[in-house]
Amino acid sequence: MKYSLRSLVEVTIKFVADGLKKAHYITNERVETAIFLALILEKPLLIEGPAGAGKTEVAKVLSELLETSLVRLQCYEGLDEARALYEWNYQKQLLRMQADEASGLRWEEVSEHIFSADYLLERPLLKAITAPRRVVLLIDEIDKADEEFEAFLLELLSDFQVSVPELGTVRALERPIVVLTSNRARDLSEALRRRCLHLFIDFPGVEQERRIIELKVPNLDARLAAEAARFVASVRKLGLRKPPSIAETLDWTRALLHLGLKELDTDAIRAALGVLLKHEDDRTKVESRASSLATRPR
Amino acid sequence: MTPLREQLGRFIAQLRNAGLRVSVAESIDAMNAVAAAGLARDRMREALAATLVKDEVDRVLFDEAFGRFFAAAATEPGRRRHPDQRGVMESSARGQGQPGENPPLQEHFRETQKELLRDNTTKSGKARGASPSSPNPKEEEVRGGAPLSLVDPRAETSAPRSVVEEAGTAEPQQAGVEGTRMAHLREIERRRFAAYTDLEYDQARELLKPLERRFRIRVGRRLRMASRGRVDFRRTIRAGIQRGGVLAELKFRARRPRHVDLLLLADISGSVRYAAELTLELVAGARNCFRRVRSFVYIDRLAEAEFEQGHLVTWPPLDLYARSDFGRVLVELSKRQTELLTRQTLVVILGDARNNRRPARADLLREIARRCRAVVWLNPEELSRWGTGDSAINQYGPVVTALYPSGNLRELEKALVAAC
Repeated sequence: MKYSLRSLVEVTIKFVADGLKKAHYITNERVETAIFLALILEKPLLIEGPAGAGKTEVAKVLSELLETSLVRLQCYEGLDEARALYEWNYQKQLLRMQADEASGLRWEEVSEHIFSADYLLERPLLKAITAPRRVVLLIDEIDKADEEFEAFLLELLSDFQVSVPELGTVRALERPIVVLTSNRARDLSEALRRRCLHLFIDFPGVEQERRIIELKVPNLDARLAAEAARFVASVRKLGLRKPPSIAETLDWTRALLHLGLKELDTDAIRAALGVLLKHEDDRTKVESRASSLATRPR
Repeated sequence: MTPLREQLGRFIAQLRNAGLRVSVAESIDAMNAVAAAGLARDRMREALAATLVKDEVDRVLFDEAFGRFFAAAATEPGRRRHPDQRGVMESSARGQGQPGENPPLQEHFRETQKELLRDNTTKSGKARGASPSSPNPKEEEVRGGAPLSLVDPRAETSAPRSVVEEAGTAEPQQAGVEGTRMAHLREIERRRFAAYTDLEYDQARELLKPLERRFRIRVGRRLRMASRGRVDFRRTIRAGIQRGGVLAELKFRARRPRHVDLLLLADISGSVRYAAELTLELVAGARNCFRRVRSFVYIDRLAEAEFEQGHLVTWPPLDLYARSDFGRVLVELSKRQTELLTRQTLVVILGDARNNRRPARADLLREIARRCRAVVWLNPEELSRWGTGDSAINQYGPVVTALYPSGNLRELEKALVAAC
């Protein structure tokens, strides 16, 4: 390293913290440090946590921070290499063969042509590797993919290279910054965890959520924002089927704003609860406790 | 630099003693992380956590170990250790890393912190005022009341505790509860069906959901892989003729639905009851993988079974106290074979083949195996007991297509995936 350690520390951690703030991503030291390390150590960052706590957002904010593009791979059951990495463009290859035949080329020459990068359909992973400048690669909901796919990812994540049989090994020009997210639909393998830095993003605390609300819903009365944050935090503790996410909290506070509510009494809570809670039983549960939730000691 | 490296090495050793699995690669990462992130206490803690703790479940353990090892800076409010926790940590850390043992790092650390504080008073002063010492309120909770979570199953190697006990005591704190829960669900996967208690059976049913999903993925994918990318040459060329012989458009073979009918026969006599019920439920959940699924249960007669909202419904009702007789079931089955069996039928039989010394009628099973796609036998009994006493598995074994042990959830999953 060229820089002295200290200057590097100050410049970059500050850079990350400021960048996150600039991108309107309110967070804590834990997240900052993890992101910073992912950048500095060039390691993939595995983010876990409940749905709606802002996991995917980290990747988006990172790409904003580094002023680079975001390549996203959404995982699902049965995702395979052809969809994630590359596929040959059969149609184009066939057309080329036809054209070459017409001009009387020998087969050796033809086959040399049709298995070149021009005929490769790049899927997200290959795209991230071959990009001329460093990109942010988001592998979203890795827990939804099969175990076999996870195993396949390991090679990519440790060496940032892929082998295409007809072309040889493709090595990353610039190592992409990799962010993986997981909702824990299943346990990820130890091998994958070992290769990644780990970050657990929980729902924000009351104070942090209040700041998020104030930032994203600026017209809302500050006192109401604080009350809303406190309310949502206590709702999450009720053990609901689906605790409200941050996005839902924001929608809900916007609804409060549009309904012209000034404070969070029982009626106000009942008025827009559908924006916050998406299950009928959750709703009845909260409604039955509306009075106690509304009149919590300040 | 060296003393710091040594200190970190000892800290990692302590983590390992406390039950965390830390690989060499991870410890190298940790050193690099600290080098990059600096020695400010919170920053360093997060840096080490990001590299060493790969499961939120272990975070409590880590925080506690960190707090003990780097106990230097003023004891902050809310960070007081619980006496019980202290006991556990000390016994597992074998007296390593006592606060007094780390003077160089502590000094270094204090200095750096002072410096950094001086540098950042304007910025971090505010942040610190807002939420003292810990940026994440969750952490405070974690430290506040979690003597339980420290009793990590991996920390104590001797004397495996009863699962029942654990389920009863797990309460106060999220990460820890989740951690212990996961650990003994894993344990249940490996526990033999025969050894289940009712509570464990309920917990095993919790595990069926992910198992069902895995099963669907595995069996479903075989179908997808087989038909993916297979070009239909005849149609491709025919399409090419319209364009003057240029094969511009590729035609693919249509995906055919898989023509497999599943016929499940499950013994629900006392000895293998749990295995049978779990299999029935599993198959009911994965019925989309097959063209048609019919499930039967038997003791000494056949009865069609269905799972309705987690309850087993049979028709006609079975005499649960009858003595098992698979030979008679085979007779019934061959009488109904025109109705139940086709060449596409995959017959899965689950049972321990204990016939109470009645005729085994393996000849009928051979006949059935000849008529259908395959007959697979899953035997939940312990391997060593196969063929002992009144077990007729040695007569059935040679006539079926495949015979798998399926004594616990793991084996059952493996056997079903292999069978289907």
